Amino acid sequence: MPTTIGVPRESLPGERRVAATPESVKKLTQRGLRVHVEKGAGAAAGYADERYVEAGATLVDSAWGCEAVFKVRPPTGDEVGRLSSRALVVSLMQPERNPQLLGALEAKQATALALERIPRVTRAQKMDVLSSQANLSGYRAVVEAASHLSGFMGPQVTAAGSTPPAKVLIIGAGVAGLAAIGAARALGAEVRAFDTRAAAREQVESLGARFLEVQLAESGEGQGGYAKVMSPEFIAAEMALFRAQAKEVDVIISTALVPGAKAPTLVPRDVVEALKPGSVVVDMAAEQGGNCELTKPGEVVEFQGVKVLGFTDLASRMAHTSSRFFAMNLVHLCGELGKGDALELPLENDVIRPALLLHEGQPLPALPPKEPSPSTAPPHVPRADAKPQQQQLQSPSRGAWGSTVGGLAVIAALFGLGRFAPSDFLQHSTVFVLACFIGWQVVWAVTPALHTPLMSVTNAISGIIIIGGLLQVGDGLELPTVLGVLAVFFATINIAGGFLVTERMLKMFRRDDAPAAQSHGGGHR
Amino acid sequence: MNGVLAVAYLSAGVLFIRSLAGLSKQETATSGNELGMVGMAIAVAVAMVTWLVGAHDPSAQALHLRGTALALLAGAIGVGFFIGATLAKRVEMTGMPELVAVLHSFVGLAAVLVGFSSYLHPHGISTEPVAVVVHEVEVWVGVAVGAITFTGSIVAWGKLKGSISGKPLLLPGRHGLNAVAALVIIGLAVPFVQGGAPNGVWYLVAMTALAALLGVHLVMAIGGADMPVVVSLLNSYSGWAAAAAGFMLSNDLLIVTGALVGSSGTILSIIMCRAMNRSILNVVFGGFGTGDAKPAAAGAAITGEVKELKADEVAEALSQARQVVIVPGYGMAVSRAQGAVNELTRSLREKGVTVRFAIHPVAGRLPGHMNVLLAEAGVPYDVVLEMEHINQDFPQTDVVLVIGANDIVNPSALDDPSSSIYGMPVLECWKARLTVVLKRGMAAGYAGIDNPLFTLEGTRMLFGDAKKSIDALVAAVRKG
Repeated sequence: MPTTIGVPRESLPGERRVAATPESVKKLTQRGLRVHVEKGAGAAAGYADERYVEAGATLVDSAWGCEAVFKVRPPTGDEVGRLSSRALVVSLMQPERNPQLLGALEAKQATALALERIPRVTRAQKMDVLSSQANLSGYRAVVEAASHLSGFMGPQVTAAGSTPPAKVLIIGAGVAGLAAIGAARALGAEVRAFDTRAAAREQVESLGARFLEVQLAESGEGQGGYAKVMSPEFIAAEMALFRAQAKEVDVIISTALVPGAKAPTLVPRDVVEALKPGSVVVDMAAEQGGNCELTKPGEVVEFQGVKVLGFTDLASRMAHTSSRFFAMNLVHLCGELGKGDALELPLENDVIRPALLLHEGQPLPALPPKEPSPSTAPPHVPRADAKPQQQQLQSPSRGAWGSTVGGLAVIAALFGLGRFAPSDFLQHSTVFVLACFIGWQVVWAVTPALHTPLMSVTNAISGIIIIGGLLQVGDGLELPTVLGVLAVFFATINIAGGFLVTERMLKMFRRDDAPAAQSHGGGHR
Repeated sequence: MNGVLAVAYLSAGVLFIRSLAGLSKQETATSGNELGMVGMAIAVAVAMVTWLVGAHDPSAQALHLRGTALALLAGAIGVGFFIGATLAKRVEMTGMPELVAVLHSFVGLAAVLVGFSSYLHPHGISTEPVAVVVHEVEVWVGVAVGAITFTGSIVAWGKLKGSISGKPLLLPGRHGLNAVAALVIIGLAVPFVQGGAPNGVWYLVAMTALAALLGVHLVMAIGGADMPVVVSLLNSYSGWAAAAAGFMLSNDLLIVTGALVGSSGTILSIIMCRAMNRSILNVVFGGFGTGDAKPAAAGAAITGEVKELKADEVAEALSQARQVVIVPGYGMAVSRAQGAVNELTRSLREKGVTVRFAIHPVAGRLPGHMNVLLAEAGVPYDVVLEMEHINQDFPQTDVVLVIGANDIVNPSALDDPSSSIYGMPVLECWKARLTVVLKRGMAAGYAGIDNPLFTLEGTRMLFGDAKKSIDALVAAVRKG
């Protein structure tokens, strides 16, 4: 079992990241592992050799002889050649794009752990380099877009004139897409995002962007949180949407990847043509073939005043932080590889097993797949338009004097009456006054929006005068009885009319989240 | 049997209170209304049963008459229920104020009828001289309040419906007339009581006629836009009339219910008056544009130019906004634009625009009228906010759409002491970046005063019928 981890310099031109930082070295050496860092491995990311030494690493001229090698980019043929026999290699592997790699590793009887194959389950999030790097890339894509955009991202109102916020379309609301939404929103842009997976809507909207959708019922929810390849009808509808959006937006950031295949072409030439001069397309899929027809990987293409950025090193452009995240992902991964001073390979581990391309030169039979969608919890964004607290309509001090004086007057009047009036009357007066107070308390609590229903319901209950009419209906058919019956008649109209119209009205009041609120008409334009 | 009746009345009273309490929140309002229905059903059912099994003359002839009375009662309730249910089903939400007014009039009328009946044939009143006097005074008060409510509500109904002109009818010396009428009503009580039942019935008839005239005159003198206050006041009168009937019949349930309704109407009137920064007396006795008020023309002259926008320009501004607030007024109800407003709201929300509504307490012709109209159209109630909850948000608002409102968005109320609405709280929509006022033409609002809002720097006008304008906006927003 490996006890020494080698960290080589990245050989790919433009790659500035490194698979270990002084911080991660410290964590690894604490558990007894030895770490050999190639001289200058962290230089491009801003980690000096001395810092690694301080953290407990040994500086070496070549790290490829170690029992285990941690790396960012897939090893080249040359590097594999320098690998010692039966070594463990941990890195992004992407064997789809480099078919010779597996053969070379097999020849070395190497064990290959492909970081991109780590299943995207909750438990594995802390070792998910794709997420940690995509997050950085998404942010960086927005920053690059802003720096190439010939205008402000946020709205500006100045004495010399005003500009509206830049409109940013983000295609694909995965980790990178969501990070891009957050960054673009933070710069003040107006953001809309598209994703084939309906599950993305909530996350997109929680970040304050608008979720665009096409008028076709087809979920793009593929396995492992990736989008699957969609039907031709869907793609046509999608294209129509992008074409329409291109007339409005200033920035398109595309993040659409299909695992193990060429990225889908979502931004063809005519969409770019529809953009205003000065607009920017950032193709985050440039390395996998690009979402934009005009993308040249690693380059900025200018086409009719529109810049198409095909940078393949977005995360690498922030190598200091991206290396830190990458290295910490690997430290967490090591947590799955035993506890002591040697790395073990738990073949039954459901996170490690799917990532093992080769075990001692042999492919492993696949475990039955069980890959739920990753829960990429979007950061909490406080809502600016939170509802203000309910305020009391009543101003107590204002009414206090009036009601005190009024109350005293009532009491005085009652004393006067009490001197002469029969006790029966006084009893009724008591009831009356108390009921007034109850009514006063209860009705002040009624929300102003319901004042019309309040009126109609009080209309209905004042129909209680029907009892009065009823009581007056005697045995004979004299005038009092007829008057009583008439009173009953009118009171009944009131009762029925009041209650029923109130019911009708109250049914109309609904909250925003009520099912009836779902409206899919209109869609996006 | 009396015990059962008392318990039934008690439960009905409690259920009515719970019914009103239920209206404090939208979530509990429906169940509140149902509790009210249950309370009413209990009260009426038990009263009916008591009436049926009560101690009566057991002779055959009496039983026959009783049967006839029962048939009459059943007929009255059946027909009344049918009429009420039909009214409730047919009424349009824009017509709610009329329905409420007409229902008030029925309570007033019923109180008058019960008063007469009770005077002619007192039930369960002791024959003690003092008790008789008290009863007769109660009848007097009940009939007077009932008659004022009845005719006042009829006039209010006519004004709301438009069959009576909304302009205040101002007879010369009308305050004097009112005062004389009130004094005569009080004065007539003396010979009435002295005459003793049933000799005083003509006094009662005369007084009823006078009170009815007073009711007509009081409401005729009030202008159309003050109708929310009048309707709430009449609501409270109908409650007091019911309470008075309870006194004359010694029935606690009537007293309790009447008191509840009376307080409710009073509170609504207070709320409306505060919203207009006027006292109830000012609303009832001194309308706008009367000799008592300062001439409105003294307000600062409006200078400046009215800037007009076309529907598609407004639609573009709306589509690009983040925060939109819609201020609906009576004009929205008149042109029945609430459905179109909801469509506009939905289209904008689909574009990610936050749309909210700002409701001034006196917008419309009934307290809460705008809320009901918007609810009818399908606007969710949690985006419909009261004035004090949204006024501070206007500075952060991109576009305000004022639909058929005028005086409630008049900045003179805050800064022009010579204006007749100075001091009235208004929706400060001009603090938003852009205010678009939908209006038929440049006519002044109800208060008859100019609105400097229309010529402010950030204000644009969209002329035309509210419904047509909004339909055009919806089409343009959908297309854009």
